[in-house]
Amino acid sequence: MHIKVDNISKHYKEVTAVNGLSFEVQQGEVFALLGPNGAGKSSLVRMLVGFTQADEGKITITVNGEQYTSIPASELGYLPEDRGLYLEKSLDQNLKYFATLRGVDKKTAKERIDYWLERFDLLERKDDQLKSLSKGNQQKVQLISAVLHKPQLVLLDEPFSGLDPVNQEKVVSFLKELKAQNMTVILSAHQMSMVEKLADRMLLMNHGQSVLYGTLADIQSQVGVGSALKVTFTHAVNGIEASNKLTQFEVEQLNDTTLAIRAERADQLNQLLAHLPELGDIAFIDSQRMDLHQLYLHAIEADQAVQKGEAA
Amino acid sequence: MSRLNQTLTVAKWEFMQFFKWKQELIGKSIMLLVALGMYLWHNQVLYQPEPQQIVSNIELQGLQLDDDFVLRTESKSNDALIAEVKAGNIDGALIFASQALPQKVTLYSQGKMSWQNDLQVQLNDYARSNAAASLNLGPTQLALLEQPLQFETNYLDEAVKDAMQQSSITANGLLFLMAIGVFMTFGQVFVAITGEKQQRVTEQLYSCIDAKTWIEGKIIGQMLHAVKAMTTTAITALLGFAFVQVILKGRALDFSIFDFTVLPWFIVFVLVGIYMCTAFIAAIAAAIDDPNHSGKSAFMMIPLIPIVAGFMMMDSPSSLAVTVLSYFPLTAFVFMPMKMALIDVAFWQVAIAFISSLLGCIVIRNMAARMFKMGMTMYGKEPDFKTMMKWAIAVKS
Repeated sequence: MHIKVDNISKHYKEVTAVNGLSFEVQQGEVFALLGPNGAGKSSLVRMLVGFTQADEGKITITVNGEQYTSIPASELGYLPEDRGLYLEKSLDQNLKYFATLRGVDKKTAKERIDYWLERFDLLERKDDQLKSLSKGNQQKVQLISAVLHKPQLVLLDEPFSGLDPVNQEKVVSFLKELKAQNMTVILSAHQMSMVEKLADRMLLMNHGQSVLYGTLADIQSQVGVGSALKVTFTHAVNGIEASNKLTQFEVEQLNDTTLAIRAERADQLNQLLAHLPELGDIAFIDSQRMDLHQLYLHAIEADQAVQKGEAA
Repeated sequence: MSRLNQTLTVAKWEFMQFFKWKQELIGKSIMLLVALGMYLWHNQVLYQPEPQQIVSNIELQGLQLDDDFVLRTESKSNDALIAEVKAGNIDGALIFASQALPQKVTLYSQGKMSWQNDLQVQLNDYARSNAAASLNLGPTQLALLEQPLQFETNYLDEAVKDAMQQSSITANGLLFLMAIGVFMTFGQVFVAITGEKQQRVTEQLYSCIDAKTWIEGKIIGQMLHAVKAMTTTAITALLGFAFVQVILKGRALDFSIFDFTVLPWFIVFVLVGIYMCTAFIAAIAAAIDDPNHSGKSAFMMIPLIPIVAGFMMMDSPSSLAVTVLSYFPLTAFVFMPMKMALIDVAFWQVAIAFISSLLGCIVIRNMAARMFKMGMTMYGKEPDFKTMMKWAIAVKS
């Protein structure tokens, strides 16, 4: 399974949902689509699934040597943004129905349904009507329905939304298990901490365009936020004085004894460490790197500023 | 999984969505019990009536009541006869006020019973004969008075079936059953599709199967439901008819007022017609976003138009309008079986009507599939009819 998206665009009347987007997804990787609401993630997902066609550009999906313009149904497990199952039917009936439609035989379907329901602590509720479950549990059932046929690609639109932290962790472990089975996972999400744990590579979108693309390390270097140290001294320090002494660095006072000091480039760290004793006796030093959440906000703010500048 | 298997899986799901085993078993058991009850009644296993004991205060010479009654005369006072009824010694007391014509007679009994009508009919016949005799009228003259005009219709069109009452009842029955089927389809498809849209199942299903497979399975499932409803209605109607015949009227079971020879063709036309109606209704339902506020629901009743027209034109089965409509693709499924019930129709005419219906069915199904595919993925707003027509006639689905 290999996905190549080459310069695709999608327009809805005056709105451009996706604008000249290109990326690739490799077999067995977890690929995250990030971006604020309205960034074009769902439009992109719908083109990948084949619900809509790109107005420009090309999507090439290679499965077992065959090429397709959208993901073949037999190899796709899909959790749509507008999710839903048959609320009046039981968990078992819902899951069996979708498994049968995807060609899973009865015996295998039963085994897999029991396995996944057990994993999500829902086995005892197998015969309950779906509507009797909480939204979070309904979502888990929907996730299960997406993988019962063991597809090569699982495409999940917001798999963490509506889940409490415990269940979010369960979904993380569920996705790790899929990855271990060499399934390719594409997910869109707003929960950056979850994405950071899971994603091998990611694409950050805004206004239908690619803002950042690559591994977390790639993205950190693309954002250009450099490296930061969190330094705690044995006695109180003055942030303003420190800033005057360390003119090449950005200094932020975190509390009486702790400063966050950011270098624009990693190669400035040695110089910074040499200057630190001038500020006082050091108790300990932590590296302070931007997490994905901060990177995301930073990148989106920067992109918004560029867009505004262009518009002006 | 093959497309056919997917279609059948969807059809089974659609059928079972509204099929409740418990309800079906209870319903069918009641029908069986009624049928069994009528069989036993008919064979006098359950009910062996005792003849009613009737006493009259005057001698009714020459009166022969049937076996349900035993009549005797007692010269007691009226009060004494009424007291006998009250005591339960006799079932009824006939008290004649006078012997002169017209005679006035009062029947005293404990309560209202079905035999009282029979007794009244037999007494009236007896009184009529007596009156005729007193007027010196013979049986022929009496019959003449009772039926002065014998009306007969002779159709020069040899196609018109002789047993006009039988054919008319059959045609009405066919149209009624067809209406049941369309109503059932309307209700079920409306609930199923708007429900699926509201429960947001669409995208999940589209990721497994294409729109054509989905709508095809849905149509087959719902069509089976309609056929089941029609069959149940037909059996219930026949049982009801039998109930009236056997139990209420005490006659032998006789279904000869129905013409069952049109049944095979009727089934064929029903399958094609209901398939077409379901496809049309599904296409409209797919465009409905909010069933409570949509103005499109009314358009789903369009398939009833041919049936209503059928009822209206039933009196003129040989007319040009019925002939045209019995070949027209969108109306043939109603008009041809109706026409077949009323007049003799050549096989080639039926074959043309069937082929025409089949073609109409395929065209409607394809247009509906395109409308369904687009409509089902639209949330929050409803497409206008212009947009829907654009979808329907689009070349690429």
